[in-house]
Amino acid sequence: MKNLFDKWKTRIPKYSEAHKDLFTSLSQKFGAEGEKKINLGKHFSTNYELYTYAFFLGLYNNEFAPIPDGEKKTDFSHHIQYWGSKTTISTRKDFTNLQENIFIALVAKTDIDLVTLEKGDLDEDDAVKLLIKTMESYTNGGLILIKEKLEENPNYFLQPTSFLNMILETEKE
Amino acid sequence: MIIRKIQIDNYLCYYDSNTFELSEGLNIILGENGEGKTKFFEAVDWLFNGENRELDMLVSAKKLNETEIGDSFRVRVSMTVEQYGEKSIITKSFLAKKEKANECSTSSFVIEGISENSSGERTQVDGQTLLDRIFPFQIRKYSMFKGEAELNIFESDSALANLINLFSEAKHYDKYSEKGTFLREKAEKAVEDSSKLDKKNESLYKKLEGEITLLEREKAKYLVHLNSTEEEIRKIEGNLQLAESHVSNADALGTLNKRIKEIEEKISHLTGRIDENYTTSLFDENWILVNFESFHKEFAEKVSAHSKTRREIQSEHDKQQGIKVGERKAKAELLNNAIPLPNNIPSKAIMEEMLNDEICKVCNREAKKGSEAYEFMMKRLKTYLESQVTEQNEPEKDEPLFKYDYTNRLDNLSISHEDNLKNLRLIRTKIKELFEFNDDRKKDIEELNEQLEKEKTEREKILGNSSIGAEKLSDVLKNYNAWQRDLKNRNQDQVDYTTKLKSLESELKAKKEEKDKIDTSSANSFLIKTRNILRDIETIFVDTKEKKFDEFIEKLQTKSNNFFKTINIDAFTGTIVFTRRNKINRTIVEVELQEDGRTFYKPNQSLLTSMHISILFAISELASEIKEENFPMIFDAPTSSFGEYKTAQFLNLIFETENQKILLIKDFLHTDKVTKTLSIKKEFENVRRNKAFWVKLERPFDPNNLKTINSQVITL
Repeated sequence: MKNLFDKWKTRIPKYSEAHKDLFTSLSQKFGAEGEKKINLGKHFSTNYELYTYAFFLGLYNNEFAPIPDGEKKTDFSHHIQYWGSKTTISTRKDFTNLQENIFIALVAKTDIDLVTLEKGDLDEDDAVKLLIKTMESYTNGGLILIKEKLEENPNYFLQPTSFLNMILETEKE
Repeated sequence: MIIRKIQIDNYLCYYDSNTFELSEGLNIILGENGEGKTKFFEAVDWLFNGENRELDMLVSAKKLNETEIGDSFRVRVSMTVEQYGEKSIITKSFLAKKEKANECSTSSFVIEGISENSSGERTQVDGQTLLDRIFPFQIRKYSMFKGEAELNIFESDSALANLINLFSEAKHYDKYSEKGTFLREKAEKAVEDSSKLDKKNESLYKKLEGEITLLEREKAKYLVHLNSTEEEIRKIEGNLQLAESHVSNADALGTLNKRIKEIEEKISHLTGRIDENYTTSLFDENWILVNFESFHKEFAEKVSAHSKTRREIQSEHDKQQGIKVGERKAKAELLNNAIPLPNNIPSKAIMEEMLNDEICKVCNREAKKGSEAYEFMMKRLKTYLESQVTEQNEPEKDEPLFKYDYTNRLDNLSISHEDNLKNLRLIRTKIKELFEFNDDRKKDIEELNEQLEKEKTEREKILGNSSIGAEKLSDVLKNYNAWQRDLKNRNQDQVDYTTKLKSLESELKAKKEEKDKIDTSSANSFLIKTRNILRDIETIFVDTKEKKFDEFIEKLQTKSNNFFKTINIDAFTGTIVFTRRNKINRTIVEVELQEDGRTFYKPNQSLLTSMHISILFAISELASEIKEENFPMIFDAPTSSFGEYKTAQFLNLIFETENQKILLIKDFLHTDKVTKTLSIKKEFENVRRNKAFWVKLERPFDPNNLKTINSQVITL
């Protein structure tokens, strides 16, 4: 039995370099926890947290925005399967459930001909590439939304509830 | 050891020869201020510790005055001691030669020793060696006390620890624990070297070693933080107590402080319960999935639609396959459904021959053209010929339609997340509940803060009612509040550091275990066993040493408190508490006075003195038990803060203790207001003692003229 999920999670998705400053200002690469994180004015413990957040934000707002061909792509060299800490499990929780849900959304939103794939006429790697592209597109959309909020009000994210509210506001009527 | 006699010749106010014939037990030397008590003490101290310098400062002015220029005399302090039935005389002296009026030169400084055995035979020995043998230096240090301030020999934080080490059995384990550490370190090194030979683990091993060193360093750092924080807490508590002592209504202040502390604790508890890490909860509590249900539905529908399509295609494919199989089956029909011979038997040539001859040569029967047998043979040949053609066109028989199955896993994923959906629906409620909970707590905190403000204002009022001047008051007030704040912060620091230390220790333990595991798989097993044994041995030595040390402290504490209670009979005392603290490279022992478990920072001088004396007696008693020998103790004015009544009680108490004591005090003397004559008060008759002296300046004397000064020793 073949498993697309297992293949997908070995990949590293990219983001547009245009959003690099968001990652430096909103997340703490070295995994700061608790008070230290807030003291530094960082809201996300890690880059992949911001990435995950942006993905769901883009998804819920249906902001499918593929990274334009002209923009340079970059990543933070962290395979999806290692997202979510396994070592500091005492303070933080494992992200497996979130990884699976991201994958679920990607399969739902990506136009993959599963019949062709199973017949062997579509290469598995190509299918995974399509999934990653969807992921990058929604994330890019989410990052654009965050950027817009910041441009509107640079202090917007000083409230502890800001990021939560942005997600809650996307509820579909 | 007993001092039988002390003789002082021409030493400052002791003109000519003066002898104190001392007794066992309590010897009291009375004397007014400035009449020779302290000079007696200093003379003995000079005998014990004096060096060959500034000797001309020790010469009796009266003697010098009476001596002709060019003549000389000896200045001498001598002590006769009895120990194990042997008598020893130790004499320190020098020669003073008068050069001109009021000036002398000094020479031939000597310390002589004479040892006399039980039969009266005398031998000359080295004085210093003799002194150190009968009255060891370390004990001498804790035998002589001048004034009340010096009683607190424990001000230096390692003094008491050194002393306890000297007397407790712990010191016997010193050399073993050092040896134990040395051997264990050697064994650890051997195991490490052996482990490092295993290249496979080399880098991991190095990494672990690095991490362990780092953690050890971190741990040491936090220990320093913790120690200094604890010291600060004690200092602040002391300051607060001092400030509180100025306040008239101390009880009300105490109650208020307690209430304020309770409120502050409640606030900090509530603050701790407010969880505002909403962004973290997006991930850890999966809140980010709050709107995910529709996407799951989309996925599930897509997977199930695909699954259906797949089955339809497969079934159509199978049907096609089935028709082909049916055809094949029909072809194979034979009598009794028996399995037919292969198509090529008999061969094509034979079949054609048989058809030509119209005979079935297999069963040897006629097969005329048009007969059933002929038709059968013809059909068989046809089948064969057809099979030769179609075989090339037919696809491989077992080739499946779908090479891979991705559907199964996708289906499983869909089903396993189905159960999760009801949790997703609960997220909104959970978030709402948490917000409500946090809001309620914030309201509680607000109320508590108001209450706190009120209590603090109340406290300021009480502090205002204090016994110190108004201009100083604002200072005290300001400091008081600041100290309270500091205390709160330091207490929090203390908790933080302790927690941090604990987590560092457990991390360190884990790393060490990991390293040990590598050792077990890589190093020579004999080395590992040896190391483990040596580790155990070291632990045994260290633990035993600590245990012995603690046992001694406990004994010391019990004994000290017994003395303490007796000296302060019917008065407030509290309890003397000894605490062993481990600092980074050494152990220290701290003494505190506690009342109901609360440290009493600023006891009055009399209480402090009685506490110190109690400890000294306890030490001396324990030393006697261990060394099986008593040493004398000499106190100069140890009880000046006591008052006569308490002093009498104190003297009666120490009369009961075993070892020899020489006490110099100024109590029990009376000066007649008219005649200015000195006399001993009647009360002194009630003081229990073994021997008493009175040192008194010869009258008349001119206080401004040293040449008239001469202390007389009167044995009472």
